Order: sequence, then structure tokens, then C-alpha cells
Amino acid sequence: MKATARFALKRALRGLLTLWFAVTVTFFLLRLLPGDPASAVMDPTMTAELRDDLLRDYGLDQPLPVQYWNYMVQLAQGNLGISFRQNQPVLGILLERLPWTLILTGSALLLTVVLGIPLGVLAATRAGGFVDRVIQVGGITGQSLFVPSIGVFLLYTFGVVLGWLPIGGAIDDDVTGFAATTSMLRHLILPCFSLVLIQLGAYVLTLRTTLIDALGEDYCVLARAKGMPNRRVVWKHALRNALLPTTTLVGLQLGFLVGGAVLTETIYAYPGVGRAIYEAVGQLDFPVLQGAFVMLAFAVIAANLLTDLAYGILDPRVRTSS
Amino acid sequence: MKPIRLAAAALAVIAAAACAPSNPDSGSGGGKANAERITIGTTADVVNYNPLVGNSRTDTWVTNLMYPRLTGMSVDGKRTPYLATKWEYTDGGMGATVTLNPGFKWSDGKPVTADDVIFTIDAVKKEKIGIVAGLIAAYDSATAVSPTEVKFKFTRPDGTFLDNVGFWMPVVPKHVFEAQPSVQKFANDSNWVSAGPYKLAKVERGQRYVLERVDSFPLVDGGPKTKEVVFRVYPDVNTEVLALRNGEIDLIANALPPALAKSVEGDSKIKSVKVPSLGWAHMQYNVKRAPLDRLEVRQALAAAVDYEAIRRVALQGKAVSSNSSVLTPTLKQWQDSSAKEYTFDVAKAKTLLTGAGFKDGNGDGLFDGLSLRMIYDQADPNIAKWAQMVRDSHKEAGIDLKLEGLERNTYIAKYQARDYDIYAGSWAIMDNPPANLGLAFKCNGFINYANACDPALDALIDEAQSKVDQAAQKGPIQTAAKMITEKVYDNVLYVEEFTIVHSAKWANFDVQPSELLSIVNPRSLAQATLS
Repeated sequence: MKATARFALKRALRGLLTLWFAVTVTFFLLRLLPGDPASAVMDPTMTAELRDDLLRDYGLDQPLPVQYWNYMVQLAQGNLGISFRQNQPVLGILLERLPWTLILTGSALLLTVVLGIPLGVLAATRAGGFVDRVIQVGGITGQSLFVPSIGVFLLYTFGVVLGWLPIGGAIDDDVTGFAATTSMLRHLILPCFSLVLIQLGAYVLTLRTTLIDALGEDYCVLARAKGMPNRRVVWKHALRNALLPTTTLVGLQLGFLVGGAVLTETIYAYPGVGRAIYEAVGQLDFPVLQGAFVMLAFAVIAANLLTDLAYGILDPRVRTSS
Repeated sequence: MKPIRLAAAALAVIAAAACAPSNPDSGSGGGKANAERITIGTTADVVNYNPLVGNSRTDTWVTNLMYPRLTGMSVDGKRTPYLATKWEYTDGGMGATVTLNPGFKWSDGKPVTADDVIFTIDAVKKEKIGIVAGLIAAYDSATAVSPTEVKFKFTRPDGTFLDNVGFWMPVVPKHVFEAQPSVQKFANDSNWVSAGPYKLAKVERGQRYVLERVDSFPLVDGGPKTKEVVFRVYPDVNTEVLALRNGEIDLIANALPPALAKSVEGDSKIKSVKVPSLGWAHMQYNVKRAPLDRLEVRQALAAAVDYEAIRRVALQGKAVSSNSSVLTPTLKQWQDSSAKEYTFDVAKAKTLLTGAGFKDGNGDGLFDGLSLRMIYDQADPNIAKWAQMVRDSHKEAGIDLKLEGLERNTYIAKYQARDYDIYAGSWAIMDNPPANLGLAFKCNGFINYANACDPALDALIDEAQSKVDQAAQKGPIQTAAKMITEKVYDNVLYVEEFTIVHSAKWANFDVQPSELLSIVNPRSLAQATLS
């Protein structure tokens, strides 16, 4: 128990360090963007005097180290600042968007795991066969797809030609109860499918490889020699061990999911944090961008921390070695 | 196995239920023959609900429906009554009087009065808010003669004031805005008190903005015809077209790029509306930089542009010539019939440059020492096309033109710093030539992208601005425009004809010029009905 606590503390400290690094890099990276936030907020033809006033209001007339210090102090107090463009607290803006991103990425993650495991098992148990090759080609193709291209194709096919699904948004107006749930699901299908499509391959191919290795281990050979049915050997014994690297992958993939969500939410007009990031880049709205990156970095780091802890619990060797 | 099978079965059921076609009568989509609602596609969220500050198109479309301006505009740019029923200059142009429509009320029941107008203009002046602040330099003070009459006093004769204030300044409720420490910094993001044909009722950021009808709106008999106006947010205009075809929306607020406009022409469910621009697309030569400080070089550059080909190919015919004049065909009352477009003549361009002392010493077909840099916004599909055509025609004339297509914020930073040889862009709204030429061509004009400073030109513009009637302004303004053309302070390429599309189910829109007004203006949406 003491070892587990020490392990968790070490990982949490490392997570905090990573968060600080992400915040710092984001802060300075944004200041390297060309352009002037004042011009993005007001009419670009405003007078120089007014622009200077605005920059002073935003604190952008201060030297960079002063701006950085002010931001870190503000962040330590849980204050993400005020949006340049919307003149509203960043936290409120992001919290309004966050549920949609959680629904999208959460459902995509769940669906990927639910589909990825049986497909990985199918490929591994038929290694070298036709089904295995089809799954491998499909997995690699999916990984190489570009969300905007697939997005336009899906929107045109299912939205315009077939007319089955909506073109954009997250929910219809004026719907409640079951109709609201159905509406949300209809709006979720295409963005969720796009995200699943591009990341399913990684799960399937990783699980396939580790499961093939596990099936060749002595304990599986012994189980078969003792007359245990192959299905039981695969699902009860080999899969449990093969799932360990896949568990790590779930944590790692969350970062890719978040990145994918920016593109996916933009293409499908899905009102999540990803779309807010896209809009804020065009508007040079530093506080919103910084706040969104802090929030997303925190989510990724927390997910990785949980994965590490779960891995440590599942495999005691990890705790010992760390 | 069992849990996995169960999960798979549950997902299949959910997917099947979710894929079921929607009920067309549910009223959830805007375009499902629902007379109670018109749904409009836009490509951005509202970022600022303060009408005095917001500068994006979506901000303007939404706040235009909420906050009245003193005057509206007809399709040829003439001012029409809106909040004001009558307006005139007094004291030889040293003042003006505006009479308000007593039928306007704020949504909290209070009447819109002269005090609201005075509060708004004083706040704009005091806090130097937006473009209006630059347009009311002559404004001194105002008094309320009665609740429906305002008397303005100027520091010098100003014949541009009424047009400028009438069109550019939304009137805000004094009793709401005066409570704020700063009008400019007031977000105005909830509990809206407005006086337009619609009031903002619901905001779902990233998705939609729902505005409800104001029955008492006095400019349309019986009040606005449609109960709700909903703006829905899409990532781009291509997706908006898909949504219009799919029936999710009834109208696209954004103008369609020419190629996309062509692609919807055969669709019987979609109607296109031609909307004239109030601005123009142009190239401006930085006259503070050599060799662009020499007239013959600018004339050579102007002769090395195939204007007709640009309108035919890059704009696919959806643009008209302005005869190289800053007095465009949209504003017919200002136009100069004697204006003639620069001729595309490569030989003339070469002759002018040779006369200016340029030589092609190494025989590579390009004049030595004549390499120019042109900046433009790479996200503008029209300019991105014609910039390449200009480069090619310049090359024929022996001019090396380097194109710099820039990300928008970089583009803005560059043009504000006047860091270019040639600026390529377009004006959205130049609705009042005496005022606009002052901003764009006078020595201290803050959108003077040519960096021109010509005392003779300044004198003509000043003379026009001091006259109080358009007939008297026209002479000096036409002379000023002629001078701008002759000295190539601006090379006007074309005036775009915007294509706005809507579902054929809707009719009775009121077309007004520019993408900002088009058929999304308050009067148009208030009077639109199902066809």
C-alpha cells in the first residue's frame, strides 16, 4: 500500500511538471503568433491610440516575463482570465463547451475499445488469413484518413444524398426528453464515426500483435495441451495479458482524440472545446486559447496518470521497477 | 463474451434509432416548411453583443436585428427612414436636426428617445469607439429638443455627418448602457434590451442564436411576419450549402464564392439574389516607396493588369467594372460617366517603364531592379485567384511581382505597418464618398493604404465634406476621384456582385447593398414570408 502511494505521488508530481511545461510552452508560443489581438478584436482600421488602449487593457503592453508571471499567478488562483473577444470569463466559456467534447471523445473512445477488442482478437486468431489481412489493411487505411476529407464525404452522403443525418450541430432546437436524446445521437454519429475510424486501427493492430505473442506463450500452449477449448484460452487467458499494452494505448490515444476533436468539431460544427480553439486562433484570443490548452493538457495528463496507476495495479512489476 | 455481445447489440439498436430520418414536422430544423421560423446559416459565433463594438459579420447580422440605426439604406445606397423619420442640416452645415419615429420602444417597454441617441453619440465620442469615432470628428454636442427631436452642433460645417451617423451608429438604450463603467467594455451578453424587429432570446454558443419577434416594431405593418429568426453556426460556406440543400436552413447569410454560386444555379429549390457591393476590390501602390513614388511606374503597373479577364475568370462574371474609379456603379448618384478604365496594354507598360529609365540588361524579359512585393489575405478566394493573374500579366510587361498570400492576422499586421509595395484587398463598405475618400486618401486618413499625401486632393475632399447637399458635394468629389485615378493612388479592379442564396420556399426579402445588409437586414427579415 505504501509502495502504491509512493508510486501515485511520483506520477502526480511528474504530471504537475508536465502541466507547467505545457502551460509555459503554450504561453510563449501564442505570443509568437503574427498579428495583433487588438486588431482581431476591433475593426482593424481603428486608430493607433485606441489600439494602444486595448493592448494596455489586455496587459499586452507589459514585458513578456511580467505577462508570464501575471498569468501564472492568476492561474494558480484558478482564474483562466477574461476573453479578449467576448469580454467574458474564459472558464465559463470553456465549461459551456466542455460537455460536448466529453460526449464526443468519450463515445469515440468507448466505441473504439468496444469495436477494437473483438476485431483485434479476430485478426490475431486468424493471423495470416484473409480476415486478418482485411482487418490490417482496414486499420492502416483508417489511420491514414484525413478528417476534413472524410468529413465532407460523409456529410454529403448521409446528410444531402441520403438525408438521414443532420449536416452540423449537436442537437436540434426545442427538443426534450427522448427526442432530445435521439437528436443528440443523430448529431453525434458522423463526428464520432470519423474519430473512431481514424484511431481504431491503432487499437486493433496493437492488440493483434500482443495477442499473437501471448498465444505463443507457454501457459497458452499448456492450457491447450490440457484440452481447454481454444475460445477459452483466447478470451480468458491470453486476452487478459494482451490487454495490458492496449490499456496504455487508451491513455496515450486520448491526446490524439483531443487533437482530432479540434478538426472533427470544426468540420461538423460540433460546439465543443475543439471548435472554440479553432475560433480563438483566428481571433488571437490568447486567454481562451491558453485556457483551452490548460484544460486539455490537464485532461490528457490526468488520463495518463490514471492509466499509469491502473497499469501499476494490474501489473505489480511496474510499481517495483519504478 | 456475453457482455460484449450485449454491448454490441445495444450499440446497434442506438445506431438504428439514431439513423431514423427526422420528422419533417417536428419544427427542429429551420427549413421544414415552418412559417414560424426562418433559419439562417452563418460561419461564426457572435463574439460581441455590444453593437457599438462588435466587428464581425455575424455580430452585425444579429445586433442589426436588435438595435436600430437612425437611417436604413436602399439598394442604391440612398438613406431611408428607420429610427429617424426626418433629418436635415441646419445653420449652413454647422448643425443638424433629426426627428425620431415615436413608435419605437425598447423591449422593456421604455420608449426610444432623443436621450438614447445623444447618450450613444456622446459615448462613442468620449470613448473613441470603433469606426464611428473617426467619422464624427466635427461633432461637438447635441441637445434633445423634445423626446423625438435631436439637435446636433458641429465645430465646422460637415455634410457627411448625417449619412455617417445614420448608417454606422446603432442606437443603444441609455438606461442600460449608462450604468456601465465603460460603454466600450460592456459585454452586453445577457438580459438584452433592444428595439429592433427581433430580440435575442436564446444563445447556444457554437450552435444557434434564437431571436423572437417584437410585435410592436413600427416599420412593418402588423409587425414582423415570422415569429423567430434563428442563426445557426456552420464551419464554412460549403457546409452551409449542404445544409440549405438538406433543408436544415432557409438562407445563407454569407455571400457565396463565385464558383460555389455557379454550382447552385440549376437547383430549383434554391433561389439566388444578386446583391451589389458597397465597396471595391483594388490594388494600392505604396507611394512612399521607390519606385512606386513615380507616377509613370504606377501607370505602367495599372496598364499591366487584364481587368476584363479578372472579372470573367476569377470572378466568373460576378463583378462589374468601376471604370477604374472610386465612385462605383452601386452609388449611381455619385458616379462619373466620363470615367474610363485603365487599358490593359503590355506594350504601353513597357514603354512607360523604359521611359522611366528601367532596362532589361540581362535579357531575361524582366526589367532590372523592378521586383515588387504584393500582400493579400490568402483566405480570400477571389483575391487568391486574381493575384496570380496579375503576377502573370505583370511578367508579360517585364515586371517581377512576388506574391505574399498571408494568414489574416499577419496580413492585418503588415498592412497596418504599411509593410508592402502593393496592397491587394477589398473594401466592404464605402457608402459615402466625401467621408470615405477622406479616410482613404487624405494625408492623415487612417485607411490611407497608398500612403498618398496630395494637398490638392485633400482640398477637394475638404470642400466636398463642408457642403451640406449632395448636388454641391458631387463636383469636388468627382474631381477628386478623377485625380485618384489619374495619379493611380488606387487601382480599382472591380465591384463584386454578391450571390446570396435562400430556399425557394421564402420570398418578399428586401435587398440592400453589401454583404452586411443583403437580405439579412432588419427590414428584409421582418417582411419575409413563405412563398
